[in-house]
Amino acid sequence: MNTPSRTESIDPITTEVIRNKLEGIADEMELTLLRSSFSPIVKEGLDTSASLFTVNGETLAQACAIPVHLATLIPALRTMIEKYPIPGMREGDAYILNDPYCGGTHLPDIAVMTPVFHRGRVIALSATMTHHGDIGGYSPGSLPPNSTEIYQEGLRIPALKFRNAGEYNETLVAILRQNSRLPDTLMGDLNAQLAACTVGARRLQELADQYGDEFLMRVFEDLLDRSEIMTRQALRMIPSGTYRYVDYLDNDGIDLDKPVRIEVAVTVGEGAIEFDLTGTDSQLAGPLNCVPSGSQAAAYFAVRVLTDSTIPTNGGCFRPVTLKLPKGSLVNPEEPAPVNARTSTIKRIATSMVSALADALPDRVAAPAAGTLLVVAFAGRRANGERFIVGELIAGGSGAARDRDGVDAVDTDASNCMNLPAEALEMDAPLRLHRVALRRDSGGAGQYRGGLGVVREYEVLADGISFTHRGERHFSEAPGLNGGRAGVAAHSIILRADGREEVIPSKALTVLDKGDRVIVQTPGGGGYGDPTLRRHIAVDVANGKVSVQAAHELYGLR
Amino acid sequence: MAGHRSKAYEHGYEVGVDIGGTFTDVVCRNPQGELSLVKIPTTRADPSAGVLHAVDHMVRAWGIAPAEITRFVHGTTVATNAVLERKGAKIGLITTLGFKDVLEIGRQSRHNVYSVMLTPETPAFLAPGALRREVTERISASGEVLVALDEAAVRREAAALAAEGVQAIAISFLFSFLNPVHERRAAAIVREAHPDLMISISSEVDPAFREYERTCITAFDAYLKPVIERYLTAMEDDLERRGVGAPLQIMLSRGGVACSRIARRSPVRMFLSGPAAGVIGGRVAGKAAGAHDMITIDIGGTSADIALVHDGKPLIAAEGVLDGYAVRVPMVDVNAIGAGGGSIAWLDGAQSLRVGPHSAGSEPGPSCYGRGGSEATVTDASIVLGYIDPAYFAGGTMQLVPELARTAIERRIAGPLGMSVEQAALGIHRVVNATMAAGMRFVSVKRGIDPRRLSLVALGGGGPVHATALASELGMRQVIVPRHPGVLSAAGLLAAPVEHQAAIAFNAPVTAVAREDLVRAYAELDARCDALMQSERVPRDRIERHYLADVCYIGQSYHLEVAMAMHSDAPLERLTHDFYQAHDRIYGHSAAGSIQFVNLRAVHQASVGSADVASIYAPGAGDPLKGLRTILTAVSRGPVQARVYERARIGAGMRFDGPAIVEQSDTTTVVDCGWSAAVDGGGNLILSAAH
Repeated sequence: MNTPSRTESIDPITTEVIRNKLEGIADEMELTLLRSSFSPIVKEGLDTSASLFTVNGETLAQACAIPVHLATLIPALRTMIEKYPIPGMREGDAYILNDPYCGGTHLPDIAVMTPVFHRGRVIALSATMTHHGDIGGYSPGSLPPNSTEIYQEGLRIPALKFRNAGEYNETLVAILRQNSRLPDTLMGDLNAQLAACTVGARRLQELADQYGDEFLMRVFEDLLDRSEIMTRQALRMIPSGTYRYVDYLDNDGIDLDKPVRIEVAVTVGEGAIEFDLTGTDSQLAGPLNCVPSGSQAAAYFAVRVLTDSTIPTNGGCFRPVTLKLPKGSLVNPEEPAPVNARTSTIKRIATSMVSALADALPDRVAAPAAGTLLVVAFAGRRANGERFIVGELIAGGSGAARDRDGVDAVDTDASNCMNLPAEALEMDAPLRLHRVALRRDSGGAGQYRGGLGVVREYEVLADGISFTHRGERHFSEAPGLNGGRAGVAAHSIILRADGREEVIPSKALTVLDKGDRVIVQTPGGGGYGDPTLRRHIAVDVANGKVSVQAAHELYGLR
Repeated sequence: MAGHRSKAYEHGYEVGVDIGGTFTDVVCRNPQGELSLVKIPTTRADPSAGVLHAVDHMVRAWGIAPAEITRFVHGTTVATNAVLERKGAKIGLITTLGFKDVLEIGRQSRHNVYSVMLTPETPAFLAPGALRREVTERISASGEVLVALDEAAVRREAAALAAEGVQAIAISFLFSFLNPVHERRAAAIVREAHPDLMISISSEVDPAFREYERTCITAFDAYLKPVIERYLTAMEDDLERRGVGAPLQIMLSRGGVACSRIARRSPVRMFLSGPAAGVIGGRVAGKAAGAHDMITIDIGGTSADIALVHDGKPLIAAEGVLDGYAVRVPMVDVNAIGAGGGSIAWLDGAQSLRVGPHSAGSEPGPSCYGRGGSEATVTDASIVLGYIDPAYFAGGTMQLVPELARTAIERRIAGPLGMSVEQAALGIHRVVNATMAAGMRFVSVKRGIDPRRLSLVALGGGGPVHATALASELGMRQVIVPRHPGVLSAAGLLAAPVEHQAAIAFNAPVTAVAREDLVRAYAELDARCDALMQSERVPRDRIERHYLADVCYIGQSYHLEVAMAMHSDAPLERLTHDFYQAHDRIYGHSAAGSIQFVNLRAVHQASVGSADVASIYAPGAGDPLKGLRTILTAVSRGPVQARVYERARIGAGMRFDGPAIVEQSDTTTVVDCGWSAAVDGGGNLILSAAH
């Protein structure tokens, strides 16, 4: 292989060859993570990511199955290298952090980073982030829907050494184990993260052997510059101006009657883009607060959607992006505001940022999706006394666009999570599912119909099961576009064994007993265009997606 | 015909016919082990006609009497194409009450992450809402009947579906993999009332947990059954009419063959029949050259199919992807990436050179084809670099225009980048090779195997062009170019074992299982495989029995397939040990945690026919050295003179060093600087790295 000398200039072909290799390394890290992790949220929810960083803390290559992880490691990495400057790092070191107020996201997400050494010097950083099964706090799974302080949400880990020159920090390990309801799973998943970081480091070292570390680090800079250039070019294609969007979250889980405003002003011009969230509500008593890493992930997702998808994703793409996040607001809360339910907020911020440009970029922007991921969790004891926690994430419908219907039951925007098979749930916990169905009439009517939400009906088979329901879009709808109607809002009820029916006001934490049922109905996506122009509405009726009544009333079927 | 059939597996003429999209490849092995090969254009409208043309060709050109044929093995894309072209049957789906939409809901994740313009991810086209019905019944998570099957409802819904004009019905009930009683009863009711309908039940097609995956593959099975039934029946009739009495065998996606009568019972097992045969062919060629661990890479016009062979066996994936849908049916683990000879080189907004995934395909094809294409492709670069002789492409049947290749690369790449056409062409190769090498690396590291230990088997028209560069990239020391890389799929058909498998779900912690439980379970699976083998008249003494278990840590949801040493003293201890080892190899760590069974599987294999594909090699007369040509490679540091050889004239035992080019009608092999070449007794070209 050609080994370019230090003085040789960087040719675009070598750059591209190395870029391919870096992406291969990130993929290999991600594969290691996904395959060797234990908690279902990693395996089925793909709630994990792997990245390589430059020594300046800019993303070189990233593998993530869900955009909520996009660039989300950046603030954590910066804190780590600030507290433990690179010159003091040693081979075999590993660093750890989860505190949202130190650059983390929410407490279950733990970042692990190892420096990559070549000939005694740090040439890059290899990092992973995984959503762990339980990190303590007052509810199993560490996602309490009605927490009011971060202290209730679990153990806060500031930037610390997890491994010191190859030796585990046993004090920390003991504290971690002592504070988790699932200590073996926690350690198993942390080891999977370390394994992935090690794979990344080893492969980068091979690359440095081949190309020389000086040259390689210059190529890193070149790669970032190239993605920056392309992103700026793509941003110049968007008509300059400021685009606004406002949407509301249901409530903060504490004050159930107060909707939460999210306001976005997107200013495009001169090859740059700014997302200003001024006008967004103040920070909340409940856990929907979202530390800046979340808005950043949403903004980067929006940039990826609005620009050219062939641009290699790295820190260069993020250079033209600025964020204005008012201090003390929902999107930049102050300690000790609770933050565990931030994913709902990020999803809505992402949808709002993209939807603001619906008129400017009609080929890229569909009507808003339901944009929610309902969290339901059941915890208690099995017949043999063993503790169990099962949770699942349930999507609604996507938005319709100028040339297509929305997709039914699909996760959209900043997340990309799988649901759980009924058979997996029933084998794992004393539950029985009675229904997993598409929710008729829930997609926004239109010439192109919004995607449908789903209905899931659970029966609990044991007493004393603690039940968490964290919903969204119960009190607002995904709007339609260009004459399309809004998707139908979410609706969930508890049907007690004695026949009483309780409507869940978007968020709930309660106890279920044997014979109680929960029926959740997730929201639909927005429709596009005048519904009376829809062709083949009879096919929708035959397939059960639209009722005869709706076909008459909304679509003008005679 | 019974008289003929009894000749099965005796020595006679063995025929392999692989029907691809463009060409039908035919391989015939005579009783002495000599191979004859021919390529016939595929009749798109009626692919089975290709089989008859093959028989006619054998009779006419090779003088073989149809009655002398003792095996007739067929690799087919008909199942795959029926899905791609949406030409399967109209089917109905019957599910447990409350679950008919599972097929359409799927797992709710999406492929296209960075977009809000989405397309459906589940194959709802198999059975749209109007053709999905529910019946009352319920099996519990421990396999007990909770609610009895409503038989009247089954009758009613089947009648309604029949009235809608369905040709087949798929039945998928919850937890049927633990207790199939309701599915079997429902199938019996449908069969009795509608004997003309075909039926697929999930507990037979894929008895494993996760209702979406099981329902999905069962619906695919029903969708294909009428099509496959018609196709294979017609083919059998035609063969019989031509006087071919040998049983028709079909290549399945696991890499084994089975007689068509059995194969058609589960047509989803025919997905990827063609690529599976290619991997088997590559394995046999590699084995003949002494390799046991190898990567096969088949590079065509639009894609490269990469597979790993470990310990002489192709790796089997528990699920594959068809037309973008994940389908849970075991298949030879082929990683298809969008990089091939037709891949288009382009410059992105920052003037970086990118290659693919878009392809010029075969129409208009690369610029050098002279069919109006103007994009710079990988094949155009191969012309500029001197790898391919424009006058000897496809054995000289197609005249390429080198000026057009140069012009395209000049205009699209070299000019804008301010470099020479040669440097740009080399750049195109380096970039596409990096993509392919990443794909190769992925298949090996995915299994915890260091690619440097492997041999590379180069297949297809493009494999041998890129092979030494790819091997160098990954530190591999040996490249094997089989005698006929272009028709290796057909050759693989003859080399594949007859294979039958049976599996059951077996959810239990390993510590809770006694050896006797396993003996009993495997005996049942053995009986099922035995019956299948017997019905194919496979001699008992040729059958090898393999026992496998899918095992995971309790709480993990990915499992590993581990071989069970049922003959050993302590199979459970061995299994635990082997699982930990495999976990460590593949994932880099393992802990002495509790593990559990997920599925048990018996696989019976019988090698039939002769062992080697090309055991006899006779080179043609004449000087193999045809001349010299200037080439440029990534390691040549400037243009170098390469010797050009005619493959068909290179005798066994001959050796030469790179840089060299070896030409043959179906491909060109580039022997890079630092590599040397030798031809083995079977005519395989073995390339070795210098150090």
